[in-house]
Amino acid sequence: MKLTKARALVIIAFSVPIAIELRTVAGFFNIDLPLIAIAVIEFLFLALMFVLYGLYGEGSESAS
Amino acid sequence: MATASGPARTFVERFPSEAGVIKANLLVSFVALGIGAFFGLIQALHRTDILRVIDSADYYTMLTGHGVLLAIVFTIFFLTGFFHWATARSLDQPAVSTLYSWAWFGLMTTGTVLATIAILGGLVPNLGISADVLFTFYAPLQAHPIFYIGLAMFIVGTWLAGADWFLSYRAWRSDNKGERIPLQMFMVLTTMIMWYLATLGVAVSVVFFLIPWSLGLIPSVNPLLTRTLFWYFGHPIVYFWLMPAYMMWYTILPKLSGGRLFSDPLARVVFLLFLLLSTPVGIHHQYLDPGIAEGFKFIAMTNTMFLLLPSLLTAFTAVASMEHGARQRGGEGYLRWLGALPWRDPAFTGMALAGILFAAGGFSGMINAGMNINYLIHNTLWVPGHFHLTVGTAVALTMMAGSYWLVPQLTGTKLYSRPIGLLQVIMWFIGMVFMSNAMHRAGLAGIPRRTAEPQYQNFEFLTPIGSIFELRVQIALGGTLLFLSVVLFLFNMLLTSLGEKSDRPVDEYLPEPLSGPEGSPRVLDNLGLWTGIAVVLVILAYTLPLAGIIQNGGGLFGGGLPIPATVSAGLDFVTTLVTTTVNTLLEVAA
Ligand code: HEM
Ligand SMILES: [Cu+2]
Repeated sequence: MKLTKARALVIIAFSVPIAIELRTVAGFFNIDLPLIAIAVIEFLFLALMFVLYGLYGEGSESAS
Repeated sequence: MATASGPARTFVERFPSEAGVIKANLLVSFVALGIGAFFGLIQALHRTDILRVIDSADYYTMLTGHGVLLAIVFTIFFLTGFFHWATARSLDQPAVSTLYSWAWFGLMTTGTVLATIAILGGLVPNLGISADVLFTFYAPLQAHPIFYIGLAMFIVGTWLAGADWFLSYRAWRSDNKGERIPLQMFMVLTTMIMWYLATLGVAVSVVFFLIPWSLGLIPSVNPLLTRTLFWYFGHPIVYFWLMPAYMMWYTILPKLSGGRLFSDPLARVVFLLFLLLSTPVGIHHQYLDPGIAEGFKFIAMTNTMFLLLPSLLTAFTAVASMEHGARQRGGEGYLRWLGALPWRDPAFTGMALAGILFAAGGFSGMINAGMNINYLIHNTLWVPGHFHLTVGTAVALTMMAGSYWLVPQLTGTKLYSRPIGLLQVIMWFIGMVFMSNAMHRAGLAGIPRRTAEPQYQNFEFLTPIGSIFELRVQIALGGTLLFLSVVLFLFNMLLTSLGEKSDRPVDEYLPEPLSGPEGSPRVLDNLGLWTGIAVVLVILAYTLPLAGIIQNGGGLFGGGLPIPATVSAGLDFVTTLVTTTVNTLLEVAA
């Protein structure tokens, strides 16, 4: 499946609630995630999307 | 659905005068959205202490403007425009009289302008006009008379609009004897019957109590009575917001996803259930009012839980129709079909994201509805957190998304920019996740709603996860994203309407449902019967509580504080009333 700009945006949108509530999930296991950790995780995720978009996104060579 | 004329001619070509009325309604709606969102931004930044541009004393003025302009003006003008579109489209005939359509639009708009002047007057102290009564406007808060008068005109305007659609339906019926009511028309009619039933309460409150009181004709009102009459209307208004959104999810979303509505009969049942169940539950907003007996609150809670059913049915149908559409577009697999949906289309993506946040709002709504857990979150920031997911997203985002598809049909132009539209709906989603999630959490920590200064001296709110400071930042960040999203939306709409006429216009054709109306019993179309049942349910749910409130609160105009109530007070009142009436009648007869 091609990673279109629209799909990438929607995936990023979904990552936000998941990132915010990650602290609750971690809380169940008695792990205290500080906000800054969440920010870093979300930032890494965004970077990953960016790379994936470059590799498989619209206009890239490997796009089918 | 009646329209088989296909994509050849646009709505504006077939119904030019209806398109004019609809555009005027949407214009008022969008102007209200812009101003209301701006006030929202000011509030979000003010109460989190991030940026303060107004005096804290003016916060209630802002909050009233925000609540009224967004929850009442934006949503209802969109609804009247949209229902006017749906009536002409689904009956495939113009409205009975264009002049009449303009008349109700004019009345609604005049009322809105009067009420808005009264609210904004609060910012100019020496004007002597203000209406800092919040969008719930019940006593003991008092507004300038022109606020209530504007409100009354607005409501009468909606009644006349409903009559417009009933007249169209009657004209259609005389040419189409024995046919099933087209689905969108059915939805318009059931929603309006519910609205007539519900606005009766608020009309009584405004005309008999609030207007005379604000003019000084009566010295006091029974505050609990005006509260109860407000909530008698205040819960069903929730469905007046939601019905246009549901109508778009049932009739437009399946088409946008590339498929067809899953079931027409199910959609009809859902709208009837809302008609029957949405009014007799308003007391669930008054769990903490001492003047209403616990037993009535318990009954309201039980009814409320039943009311979840049509929303759950809607969630099922919407997802089933989307899945069907995705599979028509070649989507496969257990979950992979999700990728085959038209995410590029802001109309589709906006509605889908709105639906997802609505599910979250539904869960926090169940907490609100539970009589005992409600005490935990009552009047905290949790409550705005909840309704920014429901009316603020499920409804508002669906309306904005729907506009991307609807407005080009009315103007004959092309949508100015799909990518900006897509960015806009995504920003709304992200902004709302930040703002409402943090509001829910802040509410659990006990932070109150409706205040410019939620921080108390020598008192610290505690959160189980993170800090209060983080929550404040998230609310401010979310509010800013939301405001920017509205700016993008308005910009896109403006440029769309100024655009050149397109030779490949958006078609308004809606495909037939997978399972059509033939499959449903005819009794579903018997609107008289359902109205009758709805009225009986309302009488059952409200007679005793209202009698008790009048009894305990010192009569119809009693100004005292309500005393804690028991069921028997209402019962006594009704018994006395009935016996005296019977005795008088007997005396007269004798
Ligand atoms: C730009 C987007 C928005 C922002 C930044 C925003 C912000 C806020 C904030 C911070 C409050 C809480 C104030 C308090 O309790 O102290 C609030 C209340 C409220 N908002 Fe919004 N909001 C937005 C959009 C909407 C929309 C789209 C609707 C409805 C269609 C809406 C309806 C309401 C209502 C009814 C209240 C409660 C008013 C009251 O308590 O009387 N808001 N808003
Ligand atoms: Cu309610």
